[in-house]
Amino acid sequence: MHMRPDEGEGSGGPMNADEAEVRQRRPMDEEGASAEPDGATGTSTQQDGHFECNICLDTAKDAVVSRCGHLFCWPCLYQWLETRPNRQTCPVCKAGISKDNVIPLYGRGSSNQQDPREKLPPRPQGERPEPETHGPFHNFGLGDGGFQMSFGIGAFPFGFFASTFNIGNGQFGGHPPRPNVPQNPEEQFLSKVFLWVAVLFMFWLLMA
Amino acid sequence: MFSNTAMQKRLQKELMQFQQEPPKGMTIDTESVSNTLTTWIVHIEGAEGSLYHGEKFQLQFRFSNRYPFDSPEVMFVGSEIPVHPHIYSNGHICLSILTDDWSPALSVQSVCLSILSMLSSCTEKKHPPDNSFYVRTCNKSPKKTKWWYHDDSV
Ligand SMILES: [Zn+2]
Ligand SMILES: [Zn+2]
Repeated sequence: MHMRPDEGEGSGGPMNADEAEVRQRRPMDEEGASAEPDGATGTSTQQDGHFECNICLDTAKDAVVSRCGHLFCWPCLYQWLETRPNRQTCPVCKAGISKDNVIPLYGRGSSNQQDPREKLPPRPQGERPEPETHGPFHNFGLGDGGFQMSFGIGAFPFGFFASTFNIGNGQFGGHPPRPNVPQNPEEQFLSKVFLWVAVLFMFWLLMA
Repeated sequence: MFSNTAMQKRLQKELMQFQQEPPKGMTIDTESVSNTLTTWIVHIEGAEGSLYHGEKFQLQFRFSNRYPFDSPEVMFVGSEIPVHPHIYSNGHICLSILTDDWSPALSVQSVCLSILSMLSSCTEKKHPPDNSFYVRTCNKSPKKTKWWYHDDSV
């Protein structure tokens, strides 16, 4: 074990830490806006060496700590776990480690309290976009959904009644997923709209 | 993602740290270090009190752009290759941290120290039993060898 030169200064570190704490306790006395980023950058430089990622050797960003206590950038650790999917061990001590049992660390004043594991890099799979509630006709012009409607003439009335019934209940987003055609709610909504247009068209034909 | 620049940054840090506090008996041949930092040569002296005391060796490190997730290629080069039961006469080293047990928390320095301690703990200078066969048939890069690791005792 080698002492790093900046650790050797002994009292230097703790003094600075105290200063930071005093500043923390009197946030009202100072301009909060300037005190906060100041404190945030201060911790990363003054404690240099203590909070270095064990993989890139740089100050850990999007820091996570393993159960065994070892610190990493989340992107660094993630890449290591991806490298050895079958044998996931802590790079430092070889203890077992997984994406789910590391703990994200949030420093004071970090504006982004999002779990680093949920952003960069994205998890490989299992992601499903949250159902978003859009107003009607939002995204209508995109047309990339592909209406996925094919109805033969014979089967048409049944499909049409089933669908109109659903629309009547106003359950735009609440359908159980169809067994083999995964559709997102917008697509379902769009196909309803399309159906209605078709129905009105038929109606107009009959009346004419 | 760990980019090329992050790899360079890490190698830069390792180089600086190694030069600032070189482990006893080790120096980096700075002339050997390429601009891109992808090849280093480290001079190693056999430790006092070991069978290799007074001998000098050169260890070559080569880093792929997947370093540190991918282990460096490490082998002895030059005219002096230690005679050791886990070191082939072409410089290839049978040491598990160089392949299966590699971890990105290891470094050039820790690899050098492991190799030095492997030398220091040797009790009898001899080639590996399969030396001549291996040297005739192996790939140029020791990383291409599918090693199986025997005892750790030596
Ligand atoms: Zn890192
Ligand atoms: Zn650990």
